[in-house]
Amino acid sequence: MIWDISWHRSIGRDTFWTPAHLAIYTGGVLAGCACGGLALRTTFAETPAARDASVSFWGFRAPLGAWFCIWGALAMLTSAPLDNWWHNAYGLDVKVLSPPHTLLAAGLWAIQLGTLLLVLAELHRAKDSRARLVCGLAIALVAGIVIENGAILGIEQVGFANDAHNALYYEFAAGCFPMVLVAAGRCGGLRWSATAAAAAYMLISLVMIWALQPFPATPGLAPVFNPLTHMVPAPFPLLLVVPAVAIDVLLRHFGSGREWRLALACGVAFFVTFLAVQWYAAELLLSPWARSSYLLGVDHWDYSSRLGPWRYEFWGRVTQPFTLASAALAAAIAVVSARVGLWWGSWMARVRR
Amino acid sequence: MSRAKLAVLAAITVVTAAHVGSPDTYFEGAAGPYPVRVIVRSPGVVPGQAEIIVRLLAPIRITRVLVLPVFWDPRTAAPPPPERARPVPGDSTLFRGTLWLMRSGAYGVEVTLEGDRGSGVVLVPVQAVATRRRSLPMPLGLLLAALGVLLIAGAVTLVGAAARESALAPGQSPDRRGRQKGRAAMAVSVLVFWLALAGGRAWWRAVDRAYLSGLYRPRAVRTTVTAVRGTRVLRVAFVDSATDARAWSPLVPDHDHLVHLFLVRDSSLAAFAHLHPLPVDSTTFETRLPPLGPGHYRLYGDVVHETGFSETLTGTFDLEGPQTSWQPTDSDDAWLSTSTPDTATRALLPDGSTLIWERARPLVVNEDAALRFMLLGPDQRPATLEPYMGMAGHLMLTRTDGAVFVHLHPAGTISVGALETFLHRERGDTVTGTLARRLAAEPPGHPMPAFGPELVFPYAFPQPGRYRLWVEVKRAGKILTGVFDATVAPGSP
Repeated sequence: MIWDISWHRSIGRDTFWTPAHLAIYTGGVLAGCACGGLALRTTFAETPAARDASVSFWGFRAPLGAWFCIWGALAMLTSAPLDNWWHNAYGLDVKVLSPPHTLLAAGLWAIQLGTLLLVLAELHRAKDSRARLVCGLAIALVAGIVIENGAILGIEQVGFANDAHNALYYEFAAGCFPMVLVAAGRCGGLRWSATAAAAAYMLISLVMIWALQPFPATPGLAPVFNPLTHMVPAPFPLLLVVPAVAIDVLLRHFGSGREWRLALACGVAFFVTFLAVQWYAAELLLSPWARSSYLLGVDHWDYSSRLGPWRYEFWGRVTQPFTLASAALAAAIAVVSARVGLWWGSWMARVRR
Repeated sequence: MSRAKLAVLAAITVVTAAHVGSPDTYFEGAAGPYPVRVIVRSPGVVPGQAEIIVRLLAPIRITRVLVLPVFWDPRTAAPPPPERARPVPGDSTLFRGTLWLMRSGAYGVEVTLEGDRGSGVVLVPVQAVATRRRSLPMPLGLLLAALGVLLIAGAVTLVGAAARESALAPGQSPDRRGRQKGRAAMAVSVLVFWLALAGGRAWWRAVDRAYLSGLYRPRAVRTTVTAVRGTRVLRVAFVDSATDARAWSPLVPDHDHLVHLFLVRDSSLAAFAHLHPLPVDSTTFETRLPPLGPGHYRLYGDVVHETGFSETLTGTFDLEGPQTSWQPTDSDDAWLSTSTPDTATRALLPDGSTLIWERARPLVVNEDAALRFMLLGPDQRPATLEPYMGMAGHLMLTRTDGAVFVHLHPAGTISVGALETFLHRERGDTVTGTLARRLAAEPPGHPMPAFGPELVFPYAFPQPGRYRLWVEVKRAGKILTGVFDATVAPGSP
């Protein structure tokens, strides 16, 4: 997905068959086929023990996570012709957040959730600590990918540091990220599961920023206002590690039970730490100090951008001003999101199949 | 002006574009040593993929055809690499390619031909605007509906399985309470998915409404008719508010006229005028009306903006009472009052000459219409065509209900005014009005030589129905208009 967005921003789309598109859909098809094969094997050719560790679905048997992956692959494949028609009807990717892209994201999330459930089932059946550690790290990695998916879908809301002084930025982040961090913290199997998930998200983002920049690229669609020579990296990731640490501490402090009080604490802690970190980090990322840094990968803009002072300004401060009321709304959204995350994490903590 | 720009301009012998209900671009001319016809099929959506069809009109070997979109904005950096138009199997003179038009506005499609005679280039101005919303094809709709049902049923089943069995130890069967929990979860999930579907539907509809409200429509103009010393004067105001005026970019002349105005008497099509009003200010123009009969009139105004964007403005007005005298506002003004054509293929002109429409085959939607005409003098011999506003002839056609109105020339539907904005634009032309002032100050071109007796207009009708055609030519210093009727059959789906 990160490669695909970079392709769109650097080169523009030529056909449906660009390498980045193929990578996305091949990933979905592979997951679907692998899990489809797993379902057939579990139903017809597996040992009773394996069948016992599965759930039934329309007469077939497979681990729950496999069914999620199959469903996700089907959703992704369904989104492809819908997205193609959408481009012809309303224009090519006028908005990232569109119904067919949301279906694609739902498919990706289902595959990620399915993978998470497969690993969780292994974790909960694991006998030794080494296996539990490996499973915990795998869960952190998949949770990091889930967070990445949310950040990508919300690139227009939370992608750029320039948005970090408007209300929508915090409202979107409050709705999206506490849920995943809290769920990961509750079921992850590590002492710092939420922090590990946030760190995985940051690591994936940074590796992609560093990996994409050296590749040559020539814009393929007119008008070209910004004559690029190399691939545009994704914006610098959100510093979710800080709120994730707070969430891990609170989860350990409160333990199970008193879920609404815990959700209130996690939601408010997320909002306060996220606000404190992102507000000033964004100022740093827009400062001259950050601009030429290969490691940060900031100040890279699409081929179709007319470069101007707007690059170093905060956007949406007039149309979506960050006020006390918007702060309260964002905090409330974060609390609800954290509560959903607790419910989701508690369920995942019990998954055995 | 550079020699290359002059060469490109010299290759074009036509002017203006006037299009209502006819989004595709037709061009016929020379790409250096290669005579070509270029068709740009509008995607109807922006960003969208336009189809470019290049036909070589002479038996010359071509090795490569390249197409490149050039956006009007002078701040544009180097263009992207050109796309290659591929030869169509079985026809060595036909090439087909596609181009993405990413922004609304004026583009020039640069077509380069390489072959036995070296390299030749021609620029074809096109307008990138969203004009339609493609409907969902029935087979795709059915496929998506079936997949949607499968996805929803699968998701509800997944929720049930998750609630019923996922937390059980391996080998343990769900008890009655577990099964009830699974059913309850499925019921709740049906509600949740129903709400998600309803939300998605509302979202889709909102996107659709917003898109449809933003579709390009011909700008409606305000018209007033006043009588000044016995002569009726038509005033046309292009903008209606201060907001409108700020968004209006200056006009550039299209063969010496800022506005080409066409008047068509509604429904009967019994009267027609081609006028060139003079500016009162930058958005208001006036012209003296010819002695048209009373009735309701449609108005079409062709203009070219400084950006290279050419458009047809539309309006209506009513005329009452008779008028006998007329002093034309411009020497190129012409009008005609005829209720029916003489015959389907011959039009007798006022000076005794005859215009013949050489119709080779029935007219069908989206098929080459071969609009070929021949002028015969009063002695029935082929006559010489004099340049009329720099070209051999004009053809205006309208569907009887007004859904289509097109202004054609032997080079097709393109606007030379738009082409000139591309050829004259410089990197410093970032201030509104700079290019328009420079183009207005350009000296008039050299007098053009006379043309042969034949006229060919490259075009394909966009919609079926009954049409009326007015063909304007100039002979012996007089502007002559021939009238024809035609019926266009629907094409194959």
